[in-house]
Amino acid sequence: MAGLVTTFGAGAMTNSIGEIRDADFLFVIGSNTSEAHPIIAMEMKRAVHRGATLVVADPRAIWMTNIADRHLRLNPGTDVALLNAMAHVIIEEGLTDEDFIASNTDHFESVKAAVAAYPPERGEEITGIPAEQIRAVARQYASTRKAGIYYTLGITEHSHGTDNVYALSNLVLMTGHIGHASMGLNPLRGQNNVQGANDAGASPVFFPGYQRVDAAGIVDKYEASWGTELSRTPGLNLNEMMKVAGSTLKAFFIMGEDILLSEPNVSHLEEGLNDVEFVVLQDLFLNETARFADVIFPAACFAEKEGVFTNSERRVQRVRKAVEPPGQARADWEILVALANACGADWHYESPAQIYDEMVKDAPNFAGISHARIDERHEGLQWPCPSAEHEGTRFLHKGGILRGRGQFQAVEYRPSLELACEDYPLVMSTGRTLYHYNAATQTRRDPGTDEKQPEAFIEMHRFDAKKRGLADGDMAEIRTRRGRVECRVIVSRQVQKGCIWMPLHFAEARANLLTNDAGDAVTGTAEFKVCVAEVSRVQSAAPVDRSVDRSVDRFPGSYYSEGGAH
Amino acid sequence: MSGANKDKAELLERLAAAGGLKAGSATEVARQLGLPEAEVYGAGSFFHLLSDPETKLRVCTGLSCAMRGARDLLAQAQAAGMPVAECSCLAACDRAPALLRERSVLVDVKPEDIAQAEGKWQAVQGAELSEDWVGAIGCGEAVSSHLPIDLAGEMDVSGSAYRRAETLGAEAVIAALDEAGLQGRGGAGFPAAIKWRGVRAEPAAPHYIVLNADEGEPGTFKDRELMLRRPDKVIEGLAIAAMCLGAEDVYLYLRGEFRGPWLALERAIAAFAEAGLFPGIHFHLHAGHGAYICGEETALLEALEGKRGMPRLKPPFPTQHGLWGKPTLIQNVETIACVPAIVMQGGSWFRALGKTEPGTKLYSISGDVARPGTYELPLGISLDELAQAAGGYLGTLMAFSPGGASSGFLPASERGRALDFKGLAAAGSMLGSAGVVVLNSANSMIDAVREQLVFFENESCGQCAPCRVGTRFLREALDRKLRGESSQQSLAQVAEVAWEMNEGSICGLGQAAALPLTTALNHFPKALGSAES
Amino acid sequence: MGKTLELTLNGQTLSFGEGDTILDVAGRAGEEIMTLCHDPRLKPVGACRTCLVEIDGWRRLAPSCATKAEAGMRITTHNERIDRHQKALLSLYLSDSVSEEATHDTADASQLHSWAARVGAATDWPHLDSQRFERSDDRNPYVQFRADRCILCARCTRYCAEVESVSAITLAGRGSKTTIATTDARSLLDTSCELCGGCIDVCPTGAMTEKKPLAQRLKPARMLDKVRTTCNYCGVGCQMDLNVDRAAHQGRGQVVKISSPETGVAPNDGNLCVKGRFAYQFIDHQDRLQVPLVRGEDGELHEASWEEALQAAARGLQGVAKRHGADSLGFISSSRCTGEENYLVQKLSRAVFKTNNVHQCSAT
Repeated sequence: MAGLVTTFGAGAMTNSIGEIRDADFLFVIGSNTSEAHPIIAMEMKRAVHRGATLVVADPRAIWMTNIADRHLRLNPGTDVALLNAMAHVIIEEGLTDEDFIASNTDHFESVKAAVAAYPPERGEEITGIPAEQIRAVARQYASTRKAGIYYTLGITEHSHGTDNVYALSNLVLMTGHIGHASMGLNPLRGQNNVQGANDAGASPVFFPGYQRVDAAGIVDKYEASWGTELSRTPGLNLNEMMKVAGSTLKAFFIMGEDILLSEPNVSHLEEGLNDVEFVVLQDLFLNETARFADVIFPAACFAEKEGVFTNSERRVQRVRKAVEPPGQARADWEILVALANACGADWHYESPAQIYDEMVKDAPNFAGISHARIDERHEGLQWPCPSAEHEGTRFLHKGGILRGRGQFQAVEYRPSLELACEDYPLVMSTGRTLYHYNAATQTRRDPGTDEKQPEAFIEMHRFDAKKRGLADGDMAEIRTRRGRVECRVIVSRQVQKGCIWMPLHFAEARANLLTNDAGDAVTGTAEFKVCVAEVSRVQSAAPVDRSVDRSVDRFPGSYYSEGGAH
Repeated sequence: MSGANKDKAELLERLAAAGGLKAGSATEVARQLGLPEAEVYGAGSFFHLLSDPETKLRVCTGLSCAMRGARDLLAQAQAAGMPVAECSCLAACDRAPALLRERSVLVDVKPEDIAQAEGKWQAVQGAELSEDWVGAIGCGEAVSSHLPIDLAGEMDVSGSAYRRAETLGAEAVIAALDEAGLQGRGGAGFPAAIKWRGVRAEPAAPHYIVLNADEGEPGTFKDRELMLRRPDKVIEGLAIAAMCLGAEDVYLYLRGEFRGPWLALERAIAAFAEAGLFPGIHFHLHAGHGAYICGEETALLEALEGKRGMPRLKPPFPTQHGLWGKPTLIQNVETIACVPAIVMQGGSWFRALGKTEPGTKLYSISGDVARPGTYELPLGISLDELAQAAGGYLGTLMAFSPGGASSGFLPASERGRALDFKGLAAAGSMLGSAGVVVLNSANSMIDAVREQLVFFENESCGQCAPCRVGTRFLREALDRKLRGESSQQSLAQVAEVAWEMNEGSICGLGQAAALPLTTALNHFPKALGSAES
Repeated sequence: MGKTLELTLNGQTLSFGEGDTILDVAGRAGEEIMTLCHDPRLKPVGACRTCLVEIDGWRRLAPSCATKAEAGMRITTHNERIDRHQKALLSLYLSDSVSEEATHDTADASQLHSWAARVGAATDWPHLDSQRFERSDDRNPYVQFRADRCILCARCTRYCAEVESVSAITLAGRGSKTTIATTDARSLLDTSCELCGGCIDVCPTGAMTEKKPLAQRLKPARMLDKVRTTCNYCGVGCQMDLNVDRAAHQGRGQVVKISSPETGVAPNDGNLCVKGRFAYQFIDHQDRLQVPLVRGEDGELHEASWEEALQAAARGLQGVAKRHGADSLGFISSSRCTGEENYLVQKLSRAVFKTNNVHQCSAT
């Protein structure tokens, strides 16, 4: 988010989802699209069926690699080396868009100087991808007009996540692949309303609409609007809050998050929470964090309330009430109003529509959006949408970079904070699966998704499993410098030798007991994607449940087949 | 052809090699080829030689075999506990009844052959069709050398027609086909020259040549005979087509039961190759796996591509959008075998050979005649003339089916009508494949109609409802009739269904599948019991 | 854009673009043509034969879904021949399907039966017993195949191959035995199926249907309300319709099914994934919190009234602010909640408690 704001002036997908089908070149990096964003994957499949070239850069042989023209199997955490090497080729072979660079960007020279040190051969050394492949992909990307880049947490959840985003932005800026349909740089959002939460100012540095809390004019505006004095010091980001829980932070208000499942290095967090004096939660279910709560409010779910979600492509869409909440549960907005008033405020909101109107009044990018307009149009409105007559924006940077000039940012490859060593010889990544969602409080309460994928597991290469006497379906202990969990082993062809992968959905084997909470210097986002680990067999394992085929061929007979594409 | 296409094209052959669709075999073939397993399974399940590997014996219940006791043989084998089922015409009507043991065709099967096997299907014996077999092949040696196909003639691998075609050039060859008035001999009768010109004019490359040797129309066995006896004519004709249309790859699609013809073609290809002829032209033999519909040209293309043999929509026609989407010439065995003679002797020579329409025609005749067989005769002879060549009628002529099941039935009163494209169309029938089945008065008309309806019901590909549901609807209506449950209302329904099958079906199978019933209702109202009701 | 092309449809002159089908042209002109196997996301196959039209100079009727418009074509979509064809065709379909009443037990409206009624298809033709294998023992939790209503339009298998691209189901067998099958008749759980449920959504007859509503004796589609909303899982923001039984749960209402919007609606074009379409049972789950809870002196959580809970929360948060200062509070908002709710959390944090310590889990 912060990376994109710096380079382009807006932290969101540059394009619309519906434009993916018309792209001619798709570069998918750090995104297990078919599992984490199945509907976007369908658009990509459509493009491929149409004849587009798909390149997937990922340490794992994810499903998308089966329909890809090329799979760049990079070593975990080496994205910058790959992207800089691609930039090196593009510059060396004169494939840059000099006119675009001259009229729309700043600091190209610094990037030119930095990537000079990344010939593809050095890229190969670091990433493990053959230099020729790096060259070929760089050429294809640079020379295809409708070339789009798609990424998600595999890019950002690193200690150098912002560097990764900068390196991607550099590629876009030097080729001028932006400002038109089907080309650009597209972060695919993980949660239904990540975009909307950020847009609404749930951020330590921004008011709604990315207006800084330390910018005098802005704070003045909000003080006038809200009729009260406001703090002008940026607050703590989530990662920082987790680290100082119990020391400087003494109370938490938490809405709809289970921080004990979703945040990294949770054993440290649990210790901290013991010293927190007061915790208020509002949620659908009693979650892990509820053990520390003093007050818990029962909240309504999405089917029981009105409001808006904003999706990855900046489209503000309606959430509509279909049924009444159970028992005495209330919509989160109603609870918040009551809580504010109990704390002495004097809030009067009759409806989410009214709240929305108040929000957009001071946020120019959303000024033209209202519940009434969305209801009329049947397809939401994409910001920027500055006025009630504006039709919304399908793709960003049309006719020039939003922030004025695009900012090249030279970056250097920095290894991940943890590297494989004698005690922890395996590199572990975490992620999502198709059948569950985040803490799985919803999906594990559904008999279907739960049957398809009933329990926690790690994926491991045949070689590493054999070395440890592990067979498919065995129970194993996974240890990192921060903690240990037990779960099943799937001997999988998706992961490469020396790597393991673990889904983050399962409370009984919390991946985040293991992950590293060291964060990105800019965003504070933790390095969920790389930490080092060791795995060993658990002797007293329960018998293996073979009723559901979860072995090597998790997709029996499909593209994962032995003689198939991989 | 891309690598992926090639892999897929192998799908059916790999499944056959794996012994058909047994549990796990589709998955295994999918692994080998890197295809989704359901695609393999779906394709395999379409072809009865693959979908049901446990059935080892298949008794042909085509009309001619049914007239010679095929259903009794079937019942006998079932009673003996053999893994047996009925199957559609095996193109051995001249030696009925026929039976398929795994992939070998046995002919002239007698009840004793089943009895002596003592329940063991492996032990069932019968005469075999092979290239050595000599049947009735024509109407006399006297005119033999003047026949374009000349079944009794010697193999000729001199390549003289091919060389002459080279000298003439493609335009002149096509002009000769035009002048000859050569119409497709597989059933549809489409002028060959138009197809050749069409493919030649297409800018897309490459061009392909495909031989349709999936002969399966009940009553038809002329292509079998031609390939067995004159494979040289077929191969040379294909080579001329490839040369004229700029094709390098020639695909020969033979029905899977045609072991003898396959070997004969292989021998001819080898002989030409040995003589150093047709350089740069690659002949690829493909075996079908049991599906009459693959004789429909676009269904054949689908099967060649390793898919379910469901006909494509036309337009676009194969000449524009054929095998793997490329311009493709598809010709029947007999059509292509006429080409060398036309090249050598000229279009007008060929045209003059016909009686009412150009050329000679291979007529298959079976049923109640003295010498069932394949006869090369002037196009447009009458049934009486054909029967005379075949040694005369047995018994009193009641009805005949002039061109396969799809041509329906005509009454004895039509015995003098010219058996040609126009004449039969005018009678509400068609020349089709010229597979003539003769029925004398000892036969039950209603049973004969039922055999044809069962055939279409079994062989409908299932893609479109008029055919899939219509064939079943008609057969059930006839069964109700046989049980005495029919009514005037059901006759009206039958008429409506028959109309819709012709109007709404995607391909020729469905469009013609009601003809056996509707022509019989027309010509034999008494026999079908519709006159009095 | 190329030059303007024109054709005549039912006497009306219409312009069209390169690559348009007759169905596209007719649709834009508001001329309704019956279709069953057509879906704009799929390559046309022309297999259901309902959309046949007459083109001057063509001997045979042509499927409008698969026939490209050509300049100068003269097309008729209704005349005696076409009407007779439609009526006979749908009469045949009905003789091979279930009765209209039998379709009432699912929440999927049968397009086949509504078209049949419109064209006046015969309902008294003899019924043909289904020859189609049903795979009734499939233990997958979501998708039920009811072979007796299948018309083999192959929308499901084509969707599975062309849109979802997993090819878990296929047309299998031949002739009247043709059916929708998995490899070796395995459960969908043991195939490449990702349980997206697209097969249910594209089915025009209710042959592919949901297991859950069947178990709940779901009411017919016409008795359910549809509420268009946005999916609450990933960031794509799929539009979906919650099918609500208003009378259920003592009038509180119950979501009994989720269906796709029509194709063409952004951003998902009628597609949904397994979570969006099926994982909604949490809404009614017994674990849902129903009353406020407050931790008592005994260290346990106890049920409390809203007033008590709100007061307790206010006292607790204000107490900490008083003791340790405003910046000792942290507000964690949620990317799962609405924009309005996120707005209120940051306003609560900033305007009421005077701290910028507000964030949520979303720093991408």
